[in-house]
Amino acid sequence: MSDIDVHHLAAAYALDALDDHERAAFEAHYRSCEVCHTDVSDFRATLTQVSSAMAVPPPESLKDRVLAEVAVTRQLSPAVVPAVMHIDLAARRRARTVSITLAAAAAVVAVVIGVLAFSGRSQSTYANDLARVLEQPDARMVDLQNKSGTAGSFKVAWSKGLGEAVLIGENLPPAPSDKAYELWLVTPQQSMAMSVLDPATGGNVHRTVKASADPSAWAITVEPKAGSPVATGSIIYVANV
Amino acid sequence: MGVLRAMRARPHDVDGDELDAAGNLLRRAGRGDQVSFAELYDQLAPMVHGVVLKVVRDPAQAEEVTQEVFVELWRLAARFDGTKGSARTWAATVAHRRAIDRVRSEQASRDRLQRDAAHVVREHDTVVAEVESSLEQARVRKALGQLSDLQREAVELAYFGGHTYREVAVLLDVAEGTVKSRIRDGMIRLRDELGGES
Repeated sequence: MSDIDVHHLAAAYALDALDDHERAAFEAHYRSCEVCHTDVSDFRATLTQVSSAMAVPPPESLKDRVLAEVAVTRQLSPAVVPAVMHIDLAARRRARTVSITLAAAAAVVAVVIGVLAFSGRSQSTYANDLARVLEQPDARMVDLQNKSGTAGSFKVAWSKGLGEAVLIGENLPPAPSDKAYELWLVTPQQSMAMSVLDPATGGNVHRTVKASADPSAWAITVEPKAGSPVATGSIIYVANV
Repeated sequence: MGVLRAMRARPHDVDGDELDAAGNLLRRAGRGDQVSFAELYDQLAPMVHGVVLKVVRDPAQAEEVTQEVFVELWRLAARFDGTKGSARTWAATVAHRRAIDRVRSEQASRDRLQRDAAHVVREHDTVVAEVESSLEQARVRKALGQLSDLQREAVELAYFGGHTYREVAVLLDVAEGTVKSRIRDGMIRLRDELGGES
């Protein structure tokens, strides 16, 4: 998809008139595109006026049902993920056992296999991977929140059933020399190294990895260029699931 | 009574203080304040239910989706970022997205396509007709009237019909690129007519 094509999707995006694939492509683009960002905000505000003019009060009884469900529904925190990461790492330190080391070694192997298996894949393969993941009934997709204030965006689409995750990174600044970005699948038990993202690939990274665990968060840290089996750097992008 | 309730929800009223009020209510709800959330419900429910009903159409399903939308707003309240748009726009965005998820997840979406294909001519005046005649509603109706018939048809089939622009192209039997242009041009004109909300 060319840049111009992507820009022209802002109106259709605001109308929720894109299919999942195009939506993913547009979302990957628009957060770092000021023009599209403004367009989408404006169009949504406009549509809100249209919707407000068509207001239909729901039945009175609905309010009680909503408030009853709300009373027993836990709210998400504004930014809990770094805390999850810290707790997770602390737990690792307390329970640093042989099995953890083995798990870490396995994670490194997984990373190496992942990188070997998936590096150098073509753009169309990536698009197919993304489409395959999004077709799954349990497919999820999240935007990673940028914690570092630098340019760039990451999103992850994954299906636990399929056991695959697709990472989409755009407009990324180069990692510091001798460093690389590393993707983590965070569960309440551990942080699993998913993939080292080669800074040499430049601003855009598309990566498909095996991911059969149930994530509670996705995170990206800056690590030594060879990758690290445990997260050592600070979190620069994160999404709570 | 429908008109009175609808007038209370009209955007003109929520442009200034009430807009901030909705944002403040949402922020308080984000800290677990259920009373504020109940107030927010009163302010936003007619708009949310209106858009959901328009897309989903089945009243029983629309109620379910409206409930889902408010529970979602409650769950995510602490993540509301007023710098990215108003609470009302956030609610409308969540509501439309949820309604779309509901209709697209149904295998009924094929039936919907067939039904809309049969009614496409009748369809595109329906929305304009349903906009009731309070001042603000007249403003929206006038703005919709500024769109060409082709633009309005494409925008309404997408937004209220819940179709992707590719589906709209099939419905209207025109090229996808043509629909994309009509939607874009239509939305730009609508934006210019109605302005932003701030």
